[in-house]
Amino acid sequence: MTRRSKRFDAPLPVLEPAEQYAGQVLDARLHLLDRQVLDRDGVPVQVVDDLELSDVPFGESIPSETPAPVIESILSGPVLGTRIFGGRPPSSRFHRVSWDRIAEIGIAIHLGVAGSTLDVTWVERWVRDRIISRIPGGHHDPE
Amino acid sequence: MKRVLGVALGVLTAIGGFLDIGDLVTNAVVGSRFGLSLAWVVLVGVVGICLFAQMSGRVAAVSGRATFEIIRERLGPKAGLANLSASFLINLLTLTAEIGGIALALQLASSVSPGLWIPVAAFAVWLVIWRVKFSIMENVTGLVGLCLIVFAVALFLLGPDWSKLAEQAFAPSVPGSESAGAYWYYAVALFGAAMTPYEVFFFSSGAVEEKWTKKDIGQSRINVLVGFPLGGVLSVAIAACATIVLLPRGIEVSSLSQIVLPVAEAGGKLAVAFVIVGIVAATFGAALETTLSSGYTLAQFFGWSWGKFRKPAEAARFHVAMIVCLLVGLAVLATGVDPILVTEYSVVFSAIALPLTYLPILIVANDEQYMGDARNGRVTNAFALVYLVIILVASIAAIPLMILTGAGA
Repeated sequence: MTRRSKRFDAPLPVLEPAEQYAGQVLDARLHLLDRQVLDRDGVPVQVVDDLELSDVPFGESIPSETPAPVIESILSGPVLGTRIFGGRPPSSRFHRVSWDRIAEIGIAIHLGVAGSTLDVTWVERWVRDRIISRIPGGHHDPE
Repeated sequence: MKRVLGVALGVLTAIGGFLDIGDLVTNAVVGSRFGLSLAWVVLVGVVGICLFAQMSGRVAAVSGRATFEIIRERLGPKAGLANLSASFLINLLTLTAEIGGIALALQLASSVSPGLWIPVAAFAVWLVIWRVKFSIMENVTGLVGLCLIVFAVALFLLGPDWSKLAEQAFAPSVPGSESAGAYWYYAVALFGAAMTPYEVFFFSSGAVEEKWTKKDIGQSRINVLVGFPLGGVLSVAIAACATIVLLPRGIEVSSLSQIVLPVAEAGGKLAVAFVIVGIVAATFGAALETTLSSGYTLAQFFGWSWGKFRKPAEAARFHVAMIVCLLVGLAVLATGVDPILVTEYSVVFSAIALPLTYLPILIVANDEQYMGDARNGRVTNAFALVYLVIILVASIAAIPLMILTGAGA
């Protein structure tokens, strides 16, 4: 942090992270949702539409010492309508990218795998194979 | 030496690329009705676009993220989608106007009806986007667009009464023949024409296309701070030409031939040839920029792969989106709507949409996570806040003024 920002930033209420989780603290809304996801070559893959957490039993009392839920995967799906008008698309409509594929979280989320190996890029591949590849010059670099 | 050439090229293309059909039409209309009494708006608009373009270019260079990725990230899906819809539709309107503008300019050169030129123009735009490298596309249209300097030359050849022009420009008042409502309506239109939002999508995405880093910020600042004001001078020259030739005769600008009339009177056939080449280059360049902008906004919002630095096959949805947008523009023009009219509306709607893109950029330009120590300084932020007020006022006033004055009639 530079000196300037120290002078200008009002002290923020600090949320203390649990002791055992040392390291970067992420706010799901601020740092994950709606962030651009790039594959290992820097090619855009998706925007984070939603997150999937490990199962928390519903309606049962949770015994103490139960480990906290963790993020299992980042989702991409037809959520734009539902996030505006409410509701939730059925779970089967989502494409999942497993959390362990993520290499780095910064101002974009970087994956450690090639985008073409992921289910979520099927529309891109379909458009490429069915439309763009059939137009002459589609596979050439611009000159 | 190479660096000097690079800067010179950047500045020249910024001048040539500043003008588009919106600037041409609005400045000529304003000149023919209000003289130079609205020249101050061009000044306000040019300072605004310098500030704004420079800020969005810097955000893209430092963070590698273009405008619409940031808009969605910062505003969330609801506000982001509303923003996307408005920005995208207005950009589409501008795209339609630019393609119509190419056709009108080619009609002046060939006497072939614009209806026949429109599909040719749209196809040429697509072909360039499909095959030509970003930097070549930018430099060629920008440099050829410099032909529009002929408006400034024509102004001198017309030998006007400079003191009278200066009086109009520096002591502006509403001309007796016009209502105050119309005056302010055209003030908003002129502001929208100078600060068209697509310039910002394009500028920030262009920074990613050309792989700018922090090192390039200095050069981009020179391009913007020198090139755009000189482009603004050309805008005023267009208005001044219309003031001298069209205003006294009561000619209202409703076609491209009236916009070039002062140049024809001053410089004859040769000057007209220059001005037509200039208009074709300016509108063609702007058509490329708006088409790309429509692809950029969609791809960045939805997280698709985008960019002309990739092969079309590696940015498939991006290219399909642009093809669809061009086809929609063609369909609108095929109804026989007057491109000049489309242009007049597009600049006013641009003014309405400005806060939508301006505010998120301003917020992110102050965000430490994105910008590190390249955040806005205090001077930039002071200017930016003043402009936020101006942009909001113009945006809010636009629709009431449009209704009150019957779109400036």
